[in-house]
Amino acid sequence: MSEALIVLKSVGKRYTRGKQKVQIFDHLDMAIPKQDFVAVMGPSGSGKTTLLNLLGGIDRPSEGQIQFDGKRMDNLGESRLAAFRASNVGFIFQFYNLMPMLSAAQNVELPLLLTSLGPKARRERVKTALAIVSLSDRARHKPSELSGGQQQRVAIARAIVSDPKLLLCDEPTGDLDRETAGEILGMLQTLNRDLGKTIVMVTHDPEAARFAKRILHLDKGHFSEKDLSA
Amino acid sequence: MARTLAQINAVTSMNLRSMPQRLWTSLSTVVAVALVTGVLLAFLAMSNGFRTTVRGTGSPDVAIFMRKGGGGELNSIITREQVLLIEEAKGIATAADGKPLMSAEMYAVVDGIKRSSGTKANLPLRGVGPNAVGVRRGIRIAAGRMFRTGTPELVVGRAVSKQFKGFELGRTVRLASQNWTVVGEFDAGGSVFESEIWADIALLQGLYQRGSTVQTVRARMENTNALKGLIDYSEADPRLKLDVRAESDFYATQSRGISDLILYMGWPLAIAMSFGALAGALNTMYASVDARMREIATMRAIGFGGLPAFVGTMTESLLLSAVGGVIGALATFVLFDGISAATLGSNFTQVVFSLKLTPELVLQGVILALVIGFAGGVFPAWRAARVPLLAAFRDQ
Amino acid sequence: MTFLQLIRKNLFRKKLRTFLTTVAIFIAFAIFGVLATFQNALNAGADTASADRLIVTNKINFTLSMPIAYVGRVATVPGVKIVSHANWFGGYYQEPKNFLVALAVDPQTYLDLYPEYVLPKAQRDAFLADRGSIIVGKGLAEQFKWKLGDRIPIKSNIFRQRNGSDTWDFTVAGIMTPGGAGVDVTFVAFHYDYFKETRSFGGDTIGWMILKTESAKENERIARAIDTMFANSPFETETKTEQAFNKAFTEQLGDLGFIVTSIVGSAFATILLIVGNTMMLTVRERTNEIAVLKTIGFTSQRIFRLVIGESLLLAMIGGLLGLGAAFALSLALANMFAGRIGVLAFSPGTALIGVGLMLALGFLTGLLPAVRAMRLDVVTALGRK
Repeated sequence: MSEALIVLKSVGKRYTRGKQKVQIFDHLDMAIPKQDFVAVMGPSGSGKTTLLNLLGGIDRPSEGQIQFDGKRMDNLGESRLAAFRASNVGFIFQFYNLMPMLSAAQNVELPLLLTSLGPKARRERVKTALAIVSLSDRARHKPSELSGGQQQRVAIARAIVSDPKLLLCDEPTGDLDRETAGEILGMLQTLNRDLGKTIVMVTHDPEAARFAKRILHLDKGHFSEKDLSA
Repeated sequence: MARTLAQINAVTSMNLRSMPQRLWTSLSTVVAVALVTGVLLAFLAMSNGFRTTVRGTGSPDVAIFMRKGGGGELNSIITREQVLLIEEAKGIATAADGKPLMSAEMYAVVDGIKRSSGTKANLPLRGVGPNAVGVRRGIRIAAGRMFRTGTPELVVGRAVSKQFKGFELGRTVRLASQNWTVVGEFDAGGSVFESEIWADIALLQGLYQRGSTVQTVRARMENTNALKGLIDYSEADPRLKLDVRAESDFYATQSRGISDLILYMGWPLAIAMSFGALAGALNTMYASVDARMREIATMRAIGFGGLPAFVGTMTESLLLSAVGGVIGALATFVLFDGISAATLGSNFTQVVFSLKLTPELVLQGVILALVIGFAGGVFPAWRAARVPLLAAFRDQ
Repeated sequence: MTFLQLIRKNLFRKKLRTFLTTVAIFIAFAIFGVLATFQNALNAGADTASADRLIVTNKINFTLSMPIAYVGRVATVPGVKIVSHANWFGGYYQEPKNFLVALAVDPQTYLDLYPEYVLPKAQRDAFLADRGSIIVGKGLAEQFKWKLGDRIPIKSNIFRQRNGSDTWDFTVAGIMTPGGAGVDVTFVAFHYDYFKETRSFGGDTIGWMILKTESAKENERIARAIDTMFANSPFETETKTEQAFNKAFTEQLGDLGFIVTSIVGSAFATILLIVGNTMMLTVRERTNEIAVLKTIGFTSQRIFRLVIGESLLLAMIGGLLGLGAAFALSLALANMFAGRIGVLAFSPGTALIGVGLMLALGFLTGLLPAVRAMRLDVVTALGRK
């Protein structure tokens, strides 16, 4: 396997929920190779979402280190982390989370506002991203005018438009019917295979997990692995 | 019918009980309405206070003689000869000394310094003789004494000593190139006379080089019906041809211009501000309906009618604006009622008056508030009444 | 799409709400604009007054007169360039409600002193040549349909002619136009000499003197010299700059500044609440979206700017529309109030203060919601625990 994109070293994560202290991870070690497609499964409360938050730089570990492409990111300041997310990570949510007042193209363009690209270059990128998710003909539609699957495709286009190395998906098909879910997952597979995106997908749907190269089972903060690529 | 009422009752109370969840939004409506009501009432109180002061001046049984076409006391001139002719007129009451009860008076303008701003303002200086108090009703020396004829002493109205610098009892003031001692302060029942300075007429005529002319003559009539006779008398004599009016009528006319002007400024401003507050109220109520969308739809789904939803929203809006109106009225009462203000009256001199709030004015303010509440409630209430049942099943 | 477009899209998402909020802002700014214009008009006398003009009035009160002999004596004071004088006529046209500012003046010196009252050369010469003539302001000429050469009867509520009449007939010799912004020509002026000869009382007295000094720096010294010259005479004087005189006159009406400030203050307090509240509501509703924006890499500062930008844009739209309406309204009201309170003109200064108020409103109403949005914790907001 090729070199690691993300390495977690002895990561601990604690929350205080009310007066209760909750220990999610304790001395968690993990490495995600470049161009990997990992499905993370596990019962609720097992720490799936927290893992995504840590990988995406939304949240910081209580102890330990996280390295992204060889550089530590757990000790970055708030605005550096934001910049990190903008250039390295694409997020795909269960409920799409598109801006209702923006058209599909404008939603896709949103992350590009954070770059120094000019209007023309941005338009090109948006066009390409929408073409990749086969939604070029819906560019001017508002989210409310799109189906769930189409909305999720817009969300995928938004996630890849700034060409990040890592895609983080949180139950991306949780709100979709089986057939549409298959399309979306196929699309993720393509992104992984053809564009070399590293994908970490949280799901509790075994069918969905099967699209990944390997499945990690998270239980009480610890992994057990099943490799599907072999 | 009873069922509908029970429904309205249930929905309205649910509505009102959920208000604390929208505390700040609701409060902003209350305060906005309170401010609008406050501004309106401040103007109404000002207009009313001015009118009350000026209208309250003068009696219906006192005739005032002025030159025709002058409009005010300042521009009038009456000669000694004319004064003597007026003395001959019938219908004038008799004083204790057997002479007609009338007072020929000089009217001039001097500078006073306003306490509030430290700036100069025109004060009326009235030269009067012994009958000035007798002709009028309700003039009372409240402190000190009356000036002595032929001496540079003066008495001032209560409003003058309150609003202008240097007129305290015993102080010496320089007016019309002469030093005067303030020997008394008089009460005139809150009328315009309280904004005046009175001194001996003969002394003033000398200082102003007016000879024996005066500005006005006031005469107490035997009764109010005598006015017609006095007018005819004045018209019949070519040497007179003076303008004769009841004193109360004279002041009533004077009050109109400025109190109307204040009203004409107050209402449009308050109405314009109302639209602003209305916009706020509408936002608040739409937000309220949006926040309760699910709840309303659920109620509809289990069989409640649209009317209770309408009434509930309407009640909330009216309640908020009524509270705002009452707070605005109370604030105006506490802050402004009774405070003194002064402006240039129609005689080119300062008239000191108190802002005066009356129950009728408060009612006008509260009505304005309720109109805002009604207009701000009716459209959102309409929306509430037509919430689609499906909203109950939508997430979020 | 640009950042600004994103802000705009956000603002117009709830059209009705934004419309209503804009209306509230619009009204507050319209009130501000109109009241400021009125206040300016009342103060215009003080603002447009020339710094090197002094007014000499009777010390007792400016309604009292002084002997005409004073004019000659004031002219001898070193530093005095031109002296003129005027007399209040108490004029009206046809009916007392058509009140006119009518002055009996010394024509030559008066026009020299007030170059801002513009008269064509021919009209000026005609006025100076005919002692029974009158010059009138353009607005009045339009209002009463006076034309050059007309004989117009002007009545006085103070003076009488020797024959007992209260009416003087004058020939219109000139129509004055304002020589600059804020210059008020809604008055009429005629020859003092003619007035003096025909009036039945008043003798050789004038109302007040106006003089021009060599330089504004000399004003204080000259004023003192004049007042000292007439001290202890039966007609003591008080000399002030024209600005001070006009200001004192306006102040007689009452504390207008306080009233205007209070009204504008309450109008703004109202919108501060309404707009602030709306923005707060808006941010609360968008909690999820803001979290998403942060997730995809928007920094807190950018989120802050996004919200502040929205409230600023809102304040600007409502405010500019309001000032526009105030501008239009002041044009309309200018005719209604012509000659009563000076020139109603929407000034650039008012516009500038208005823009300042918009910025302040935008910042104040956006600040709290923006801070709230900025501090929003993504993990909590997205329920990702």
